[in-house]
Amino acid sequence: MISRLLKVTLTEWKLFVTDPAAVLLLVVAGILYAFYYPTAYVNQTVTRVPVAVVDLDHSAKSRELTRMAAATQQVEVKAVYNDMLEAESAMAREDIFGFMVIPENMEHDLLNKKSTKINIFTHGAYVMLHGTIGTAFSTCALTVGAVSKVKAIALGKKVPSAKAMAMRDPMPLSIQTMFNNTGSYSNYVVPSVLVLILQQSLVIGICVLGGARGHRRFRRNQRYSEVENESMPYRYLGRSLAYFMHYCCFILFYHCVIYNLFDFPRRGELLPMMIFAVVFLASVINFGMCLSQVFLHRESSMQLFLNLSIPILFLANFSWPSYLMPSWMVGLSYILPSTFAVPAWLSIEQMGGDIYDVAPKLYLLAIQAVIYLVLGMTLTHLRDKSKFTTGDM
Amino acid sequence: MLKGLLKTIGKIYFGHKLVLWMILAVLPVGVSVFMLEMFSNEIVQHIPVGILKQDHSQLADRLERALQSSPVLDVKVNCHDMSECEHAVIRGDLQTFIVLPTDLERRALRLEAPVIPVYSSGQNYLTNMFATKEIRAVITSIGSDLFTASFDDPVKTEIHSVGNIEGNYQGFLALGLLSAMFHLAGMLVAVYIASFPLRDKRVREFYNYAERSWVTLGIASFVPAVIILWLEYMGCYAYTHRMLMPMGFEEFVMVSVAQLLMVICCVGAGMAFVGVTGVMRIATGVSGVIGGPAFAFAGQTYPVMAMPFAVRCFAFVLPLTHVLRVQSMMLLGDVGMAESWNVIKLMGGMALFWTLFGSFAMLLRWQYRLKHDSQIPVVVEDEDVVTVDSLFKGLLEKIRRRK
Repeated sequence: MISRLLKVTLTEWKLFVTDPAAVLLLVVAGILYAFYYPTAYVNQTVTRVPVAVVDLDHSAKSRELTRMAAATQQVEVKAVYNDMLEAESAMAREDIFGFMVIPENMEHDLLNKKSTKINIFTHGAYVMLHGTIGTAFSTCALTVGAVSKVKAIALGKKVPSAKAMAMRDPMPLSIQTMFNNTGSYSNYVVPSVLVLILQQSLVIGICVLGGARGHRRFRRNQRYSEVENESMPYRYLGRSLAYFMHYCCFILFYHCVIYNLFDFPRRGELLPMMIFAVVFLASVINFGMCLSQVFLHRESSMQLFLNLSIPILFLANFSWPSYLMPSWMVGLSYILPSTFAVPAWLSIEQMGGDIYDVAPKLYLLAIQAVIYLVLGMTLTHLRDKSKFTTGDM
Repeated sequence: MLKGLLKTIGKIYFGHKLVLWMILAVLPVGVSVFMLEMFSNEIVQHIPVGILKQDHSQLADRLERALQSSPVLDVKVNCHDMSECEHAVIRGDLQTFIVLPTDLERRALRLEAPVIPVYSSGQNYLTNMFATKEIRAVITSIGSDLFTASFDDPVKTEIHSVGNIEGNYQGFLALGLLSAMFHLAGMLVAVYIASFPLRDKRVREFYNYAERSWVTLGIASFVPAVIILWLEYMGCYAYTHRMLMPMGFEEFVMVSVAQLLMVICCVGAGMAFVGVTGVMRIATGVSGVIGGPAFAFAGQTYPVMAMPFAVRCFAFVLPLTHVLRVQSMMLLGDVGMAESWNVIKLMGGMALFWTLFGSFAMLLRWQYRLKHDSQIPVVVEDEDVVTVDSLFKGLLEKIRRRK
């Protein structure tokens, strides 16, 4: 029984390593994308964002504020302008991505205990730069304000400066980032994308080979093949086993090579990772086996699934939270393995979650795997019974 | 010539082309609308947070109520210990948790400045940013009211997002994603149209339909696709733009020109891929490798200037990068409009290059295949003539019976 199964497995594996289209998807894509995606984010965080200061005050205080801004790591003051229009033009040219306007009479107002308002303008198209520039400029401006306020409190309440500082901010916050504490963009986006790369390349790869099986030329060439005439459960499970073993190597490769190379946190323990690999691959392979029964041309699955990669990525709940999505969309996302696999992978690998932490998501993946297994076997059985067909898909 | 053109267009676009219409119309439009629906909430709110209340004073209660009343935050759990909150973060149930430490009120009133630790996941960039910002605002405002309510802050800051007053970055993200969709669709459609006559060995058939003119065949193959994709793209862009500030007519015209140029570039690139590789699945793979992750390199989520030099060069070659620049420049009003001309000129050059290169490569490929296919019998779909397909079916039937 096992030898029959392994024979199918070996034949399937031989088939996809000798088929250029399958090699491209099942071997090259998984390796290429794993290097290709993270390279863009190899610097991890955005620093030295070009900005400007519009100084309408021309005082010692305004120059101090400009120097403080220039000293921050997040931004680099490229120019000091005398009016806003110059700064706006520079922003339109993308020479700068934000600017701070120091109002007229700022120093005078501060000395006279009047409040003053500093406006910070950021480019409305870039959320990341908005956060970086806004934080850098407002920290500088509020530091200047805090110094003035502490002085005012000390003088007004006649308390020493240490007490005045405590009175200004009696409950200071300490924000501790538990995971991804460098705020790295690559740590945030790449691990999720890696899971999606595994899913998409595997599903499309299975469909490419499934498409070949639906095509009359393949059937004609392989009609006397012992493996193609093997009983359906052996054929189905043997083929699945080939993909399973192949993709286990990919998970290991990502964990041992890619995570090390790009310096991603690697907190995953062996047991949760192994269980994750089993249920995730079982779910994706059976999902692919179901879908592969639909296609008659090998390229069709590629053409259709490439278009769906972006929505599938966003449905995985890692970027845009599911509680902000419409409920029908959340329901739809339950048919995709990545919806549960991405958060489970992040919990295990990025956050060091144990098996109990990820169990609810792994259960759902296991349920998906069983449903798709039954569906996949049924569809394969029906296709075996069908006549040679041609069509556009 | 016109008759031949129309006949060829009919043959290419309306002859059992389910996949073509899926990738030309259904998927780009469907996915764009889908993404728009996904971001329909526009701003991040109801971020799940937890509170670990070690202090049961009035000040702690006040802080808890303030956090509960914030629209951005949703206090989901009142944890009993740190471990409970920590595991809830790992499970993804919480984004952040706040520890209100023992003796918070007493120490605050004695000016000992007790630190309030806030533990944030950090794994989700967007929710992490909004949650910590809101928690800081809520706690600082209560803290400043304790002793110095009569002292105004001498310096106040106001952060303005130029052209995006409401800070609706998701709206702009949706515009970027729909551009990425059409960027990929342009390449895939061109690859399909250029390569299916090669795959199905029908180059001679289409050449005859086009009255033996390569120009007619080229126009019939690609111009309708460019027009259809451009119109869809414009429609989806205008529909998605509802989430942001209203668009002026000039802005619409400028963006539409950039979009047309992007579609032409992508179609030209798709033709070039087929011309060079000659095989549909390889050319589709190349389109997927270049067009699939293009959004990640185009600079909207992570700025191009922070990428390594080689990646910046790759980003510069992508038409998507430039169309996103034009879209973002439109947020800056007249100043942006003037600057976007330079980008449009650059895109015009790119469109010309890809069209010429793609046409040349395709011409050579089609001519080669025409010569090669001349040995294959002609498929004539006529009532009196037995087609190759039916002959083949008959042959297969015979083999099956014999078996």
